[in-house]
Amino acid sequence: MNNQIKKKLIEICGIENVNDGQEVLEKYSKDQSLVDPIKPLLVVFPENTDQVQDIIKLANQNNISIIPISSPNKYRFHGDTVPKSDNTIIMNLSKMNKILRIDKKNRVIMVEPGVTFGELIDVAGKNGLRLLNPLFPRKSKSVLSSALEREPPIVPRFQWDSSDPLLCTEVIFGTGDYFRTGIAAGPGTIEEQIESGQAQKNPMGPTQFSPYRLIQGAQGCFGVVTWATIKCEYLYDTEKLMFSQSDNFEDFFDFMRYLIKYRTADEVFIVNKVNLAALLGTDISNLSNLKDWILITNFTGMGQFGEDRISYILADINDVINDYNIKLTETLGNIDNSKIFEIIHETCEESWRLKYKGGFQDIFYLTTLDNTVLHYNLVSKMTDLELGVYIQPINQGCGVHCEFDLYYNPADTNEGSIKKSFLEISKKLMDIGAFFNRPYGLWADEMYARVSNETISALRRVKEIFDPNNIMNRGALCFKEE
Amino acid sequence: MKIDKKILNEIQDIVGKENATDNEVILESYTYNWCVEFINVMEGKDPIPFWHKPIAVVLPSTTEEVQKFVKLCNKYHLKFKAQSTGLGPWNQPSEDDVIVVDLRRMNKIVKIDPKNMYCVVEPYVTGAQLQAELLKYGLNCHMPGAGPQVSPLASSTSMCGPGFTSSSTGFSGRNVLGTEWVLPTGEILRLGSLSLKENSDWFHGDGPGPSLRGIMRGFIGTKSGLGIFTRVAIKLFPFPCNIKQLEIKNIIPNYDFDIPNYMQFHLISCKNYETLELAFDRIEKEGITFMCFHTSTYGLHTIFSNTQEELMNRAVASPRIKNPLVVLITANTKREFEYKEKVLKTAIEELKVKDVVATGKYIPPNIAYAEALRSALGMHGFLATGAFQSTHGSMDTSRLCRVLMERNLPLKKEYIDKGLIGNDEGKGNWSTSYEHGHFYHIETPTMYDQTKVESVEGFVEYLDRCNKLDLVEHLGIPFFIEGDKMHDWYGPQCSNYHIWLRKIKTKFDPNFVADSGFYISPEKEENKTT
Repeated sequence: MNNQIKKKLIEICGIENVNDGQEVLEKYSKDQSLVDPIKPLLVVFPENTDQVQDIIKLANQNNISIIPISSPNKYRFHGDTVPKSDNTIIMNLSKMNKILRIDKKNRVIMVEPGVTFGELIDVAGKNGLRLLNPLFPRKSKSVLSSALEREPPIVPRFQWDSSDPLLCTEVIFGTGDYFRTGIAAGPGTIEEQIESGQAQKNPMGPTQFSPYRLIQGAQGCFGVVTWATIKCEYLYDTEKLMFSQSDNFEDFFDFMRYLIKYRTADEVFIVNKVNLAALLGTDISNLSNLKDWILITNFTGMGQFGEDRISYILADINDVINDYNIKLTETLGNIDNSKIFEIIHETCEESWRLKYKGGFQDIFYLTTLDNTVLHYNLVSKMTDLELGVYIQPINQGCGVHCEFDLYYNPADTNEGSIKKSFLEISKKLMDIGAFFNRPYGLWADEMYARVSNETISALRRVKEIFDPNNIMNRGALCFKEE
Repeated sequence: MKIDKKILNEIQDIVGKENATDNEVILESYTYNWCVEFINVMEGKDPIPFWHKPIAVVLPSTTEEVQKFVKLCNKYHLKFKAQSTGLGPWNQPSEDDVIVVDLRRMNKIVKIDPKNMYCVVEPYVTGAQLQAELLKYGLNCHMPGAGPQVSPLASSTSMCGPGFTSSSTGFSGRNVLGTEWVLPTGEILRLGSLSLKENSDWFHGDGPGPSLRGIMRGFIGTKSGLGIFTRVAIKLFPFPCNIKQLEIKNIIPNYDFDIPNYMQFHLISCKNYETLELAFDRIEKEGITFMCFHTSTYGLHTIFSNTQEELMNRAVASPRIKNPLVVLITANTKREFEYKEKVLKTAIEELKVKDVVATGKYIPPNIAYAEALRSALGMHGFLATGAFQSTHGSMDTSRLCRVLMERNLPLKKEYIDKGLIGNDEGKGNWSTSYEHGHFYHIETPTMYDQTKVESVEGFVEYLDRCNKLDLVEHLGIPFFIEGDKMHDWYGPQCSNYHIWLRKIKTKFDPNFVADSGFYISPEKEENKTT
């Protein structure tokens, strides 16, 4: 069986793109999460959409599960791409790495899955565009995966819909059928659409459903995306950082709401001192002159009156700042602002969380801003590990991404105790309403146990439509085999 | 067919005797709607504004009552059609023997959460009611072009959703958060953070994992073809200026309004569609507008008139404005206002276009400012003939809008020259920016005379030609592509989407109880693959 599959995959993708070496299989059997390892059958590297389609058809014929990935092995973290059954192929899309179109006029870029933040932030900038990137993304991180996984952008005012920045996609469903979502569906080929002035921007549809919302957050369970258009913004010409510090992060809330309500701030988020240290790649002892909690916000302007925009916003803030009982500063202790700009605009060589102590587990979910106080009080009492906190408003202020990072040195930490602590904290948070909307790895069973039966039933019906043979990331989410 | 009295009694047991009826007089009143005459013509019938008479009308007051009723429909294989504020033929039963679910008793604003910038509403809350409450918190809601008298829930969950304020308040379908939805099976599906068994909340609409908003609606909604929405959380926006209430003076048609501080209309004359496209993109670049839309010169006169006499006077006496772009600048502070005005002025200079308000050649009436805040400009479309409807309806880029307007012009003129549709010189288009120029919408409002058979038939023929134009010239999918015939026509040209849409219908409405005249019918048995 294995050899026959391998032979057919070589026919599809070429011998150089199929790898079943034991060392490789061992690598792909696990990630940095605490999920139990299982080796895949092999790893295949398609180079185009036709090959992806042929592989999925082959998997259907042979009852083999496929897990699509686009990040290099070292930097997979959440267990979603670890095989959950023996009969699994890893489809590594990193060789599909073309930037297919950059469209400044329409503020959109079309990319294949293998295009990374490291490359695209730079290319976008040279074309007068900026990405809606997550906080200090890894250089080798896939832009398309980040959007598909609903990673929170750090500029909430530009996130009009919780699905942003993902727009249109080309997808091969689990059935092996080719599809284009949103206005890209047609009529016309992509070239014909461009000829008539389109830019594959409208993500909704075609007509009365929006399949891009189904494949987003699906961890590859419905199909494989082979390109996507990514919503961008014009690059600013000028910017100004502002900071606030406090012993109590609740002090920031009303002011953050003011910034978000009137869409004045670009980047706006809260970190504790541990996560600031991790982001800066320094030891927390070097930040002893700072208070425990830091609000970072950035204001931008463009064009002839860019500076004027920042000036009026800061003057208006100055009129009301006393109502919020916080102090704003232009610098943060003795940290050079260029370091902060690096965090919000650039990429890190390797995960900033991983680099801090060599090991981490991140617990993240969605909630509302007020709830984060209760959640922090709970989590801080449940662990002795160094605890990083990151609170990111999303979707123009309708909720927040709340993240607790448990840092440890793998050399002197028992993985079993980390796993126990990670699960206990996660479960406790779920019990009090933390909404784990990206239920990876160990979270999936726990999260879906807390979700209504009607929701699970509806998701399974959708799965039966788009992946009736259950070949896509078999066993992930609520799609366990009965 | 008449409804079986036993079944009617069972329905009355659910909603109360006074809230379900098969009274002929009541049923007749549910046969009328705006634009039904052209739907009749499309079906080869007389152009009358009355369509299929329902066999009963039910007025539930809670989600649980809706659920019990839908389960009863499954038990007796009866079809239902839900409506809330009910504007347009899409709210009508598309066939005989259907029960209308009139949601007018579900009319509560369930929650306003100013901290997290969302509210939760039931189906019969209107945009006007909601906005009046939101104003107390300095907040605003997006309202569709249909106006403030329609249901934000219907627009968000089930219909389309471009509006006059879309440049700053987006699109209804993109403002949806937690949603409560009675599926055609009678299951109550709650989306996103509302799906939790305990401690559920409304603040988020996606997940966990895939977002079921993907089957809930697309660019347009399912129009009750996939169940009944009973409550929805929608994203809110800051109120655009610093006022406590909207105070209107005088009486209709001579309304007046004290324009609040920091509000200013600008009417920008663009020499051709190419300039209009450039103006759209340039002016939206810095995100300064509250409104940014294009209408024809005639359309402009219409939205600024309250009587036909005033409209005629404007049409005759006002200066000719070429391809107008309507921009409304609003601000909460003087500094913000001055910044935005400065940016706009510079953009106008760069574009070498004219702002006829700045030159004093055209003064929008004061009441237009109130109607702009109220999203009430669209209803002026009825002023000229009493009947109009749009064709096309795509959404993507400003270039697409331009191309579509250019290619539609000779087609529309052909029907104007024949005397079949109203004479707007072929330029009766409405195009708006969404999300400060991220998307642009284009539709072509068209006037016809509903009292003349040849005019209604002429409009229908023109509508069909518009649909063909979009298909052949690759101009996106019009918003009237719904129902089996249309989907089976467009689907094969558009990634075969109709096959997937039909699979969704089949899985979620196995007994085919939700009227699908404006959605899609299930797969036939012989075509089922899963």
